[in-house]
Amino acid sequence: MNFILEGFFQAFNLLLSGDEETYSAVWATVRVSSYSIASSLLIGVPLGFCLGYFDFRGKKTIRTVVDTMMALPTVFIGLLVYAFLTHRGPLGNFALLFTLPGIAIGQTILAMPIIIGLSATAVESMDQKLRITIMSMGANRRQLFFSSLWESRHGILAGGIAAYGRVMTEVGISMMVGGNIKWYTRTITTAIALETNKGQFGMGVALGIVLLTIALCVNVSVSFLRRR
Amino acid sequence: MKLALPIFEIRSLKHSYAGKTVLEIGHLSIEPASIVGLIGPNGSGKSTLLKLLGLIERPTHGEIRFNGRAVEPFSDEARFLITLVPQDPFLMKRSVFSNVSYGLRLRGGGGDTSDRVYEALSLVGLQGDDFARRPWYALSGGETQRVALAARLALKPKVLLLDEPTASVDSASAQMIKEASIRARNELGTTLVVASHDWQWLYEICDEILHLFKGKIFGSGRETIIFGPWQKLEAGKWGKILSDKQQLAVTPPPDPAAAAVIEALSFCEEGSTIAGEDVVLKGTVSRLNLEKKTGRVFATVLAGDLPLTVRLSVEQSRERTIFPGESIHIRYRIDQVRWI
Repeated sequence: MNFILEGFFQAFNLLLSGDEETYSAVWATVRVSSYSIASSLLIGVPLGFCLGYFDFRGKKTIRTVVDTMMALPTVFIGLLVYAFLTHRGPLGNFALLFTLPGIAIGQTILAMPIIIGLSATAVESMDQKLRITIMSMGANRRQLFFSSLWESRHGILAGGIAAYGRVMTEVGISMMVGGNIKWYTRTITTAIALETNKGQFGMGVALGIVLLTIALCVNVSVSFLRRR
Repeated sequence: MKLALPIFEIRSLKHSYAGKTVLEIGHLSIEPASIVGLIGPNGSGKSTLLKLLGLIERPTHGEIRFNGRAVEPFSDEARFLITLVPQDPFLMKRSVFSNVSYGLRLRGGGGDTSDRVYEALSLVGLQGDDFARRPWYALSGGETQRVALAARLALKPKVLLLDEPTASVDSASAQMIKEASIRARNELGTTLVVASHDWQWLYEICDEILHLFKGKIFGSGRETIIFGPWQKLEAGKWGKILSDKQQLAVTPPPDPAAAAVIEALSFCEEGSTIAGEDVVLKGTVSRLNLEKKTGRVFATVLAGDLPLTVRLSVEQSRERTIFPGESIHIRYRIDQVRWI
């Protein structure tokens, strides 16, 4: 039991003393998750909105594919991205294996189906009365489209948070594609896994606390935005 | 003299949902600056007609003309001139101010919309200083309804379509909604089309009332409609046994669940001569209504617990004093029962 308590003390010590190795993992995590969530939102929100908003042939099939991809195992994505980025793979020339952009590609594949699926659900569950309201005010098609997008922002935001949570906490992609290289591609989760294996609970707990703090900050910001 | 074009004209309209026809209107025209009431039971097609007139939906068949031109959803000729307040109004996830100014901003032109927003809020009895900054979730049901109406009044529309505007609000909110709607007609010349179960209000304000039933317009709403099931009475007659054991006789129905329309109900004195085809019922006057356009009085008479509408001419209402609670006799000719 003592070693857990000692781990906590050591964790606060590492965080308060600005331990470089700890903050290097934090910084790598923040960078890579920002890249992946930004690209997922940029591509996923418009696709998700269109999937929920328009009726077209094959919509149900696409929904099924997207929903299935929401449950993709991270190690499987890691395996695929590794295969594509390795020097023998089709994207080997870009030298992205064992880099943060490489991890970001894998995490984008992880996050995008979540954002597409949850955005589509948010738009589909939009009250039909909203459409009547917007049209009755004299909106044209374009105004109806953008007003509907704005009104579904809370649901889309929820999708973004869910995706961010998944990206921040995944280990498989970061480990396989990033290689867990100290000072370079070591993220919070890969560092926790490694340090725990080494019996270094202090750094693991410290990084866990940072992870929780980031999650708290994101949720508080979102809850503030929801009231706007 | 040039006749004014009807503001709305419907020709051979048919509207269906999932293959089921819910509205069928051969021809209907609505005059500019008039108030038209729509009455009818739930599912009769009132809301569908309002959505079609409001250019929210495109009719399955037929056309709607606005100011003489065929229009459809998003038509530039009409989208800024017609507005609909739906039965269960919806506010967007914005402040009251943003909700009320939304339509004005859609019209572009920039400029400060504050005056129009505050004016519209005051028309529905809401203080702009108190309400404008409130978020959408901090309003009661009645306030939501009034903000929704204010958002439409701010647009100074040519046509205001109201779907059950007072159905789920308290009496104070209902009064303000009624006053604001009438003011729009009187001050801006707005044409009002109102669907409501508040018959008394409609008969007070409307220039014309349309009665919808099963998706068709079939009269002015002063007809008595009696729904099945019908049963065989003695001597081969068909009819209903009312709660006070009186018999309401009708001609044989096309099917036992059909609806009967009895138009020519009239008062009769006790002991007056009855022809063979006449049916006499005893009832109690429950309500009196004045029809604004004709000056005629309509009495609702309860026979058992069945409400029947009796029409009085201006002379009849002068000659005979009728008051709610009075016990009277009414009659109709059995061969004048119509089936729908």
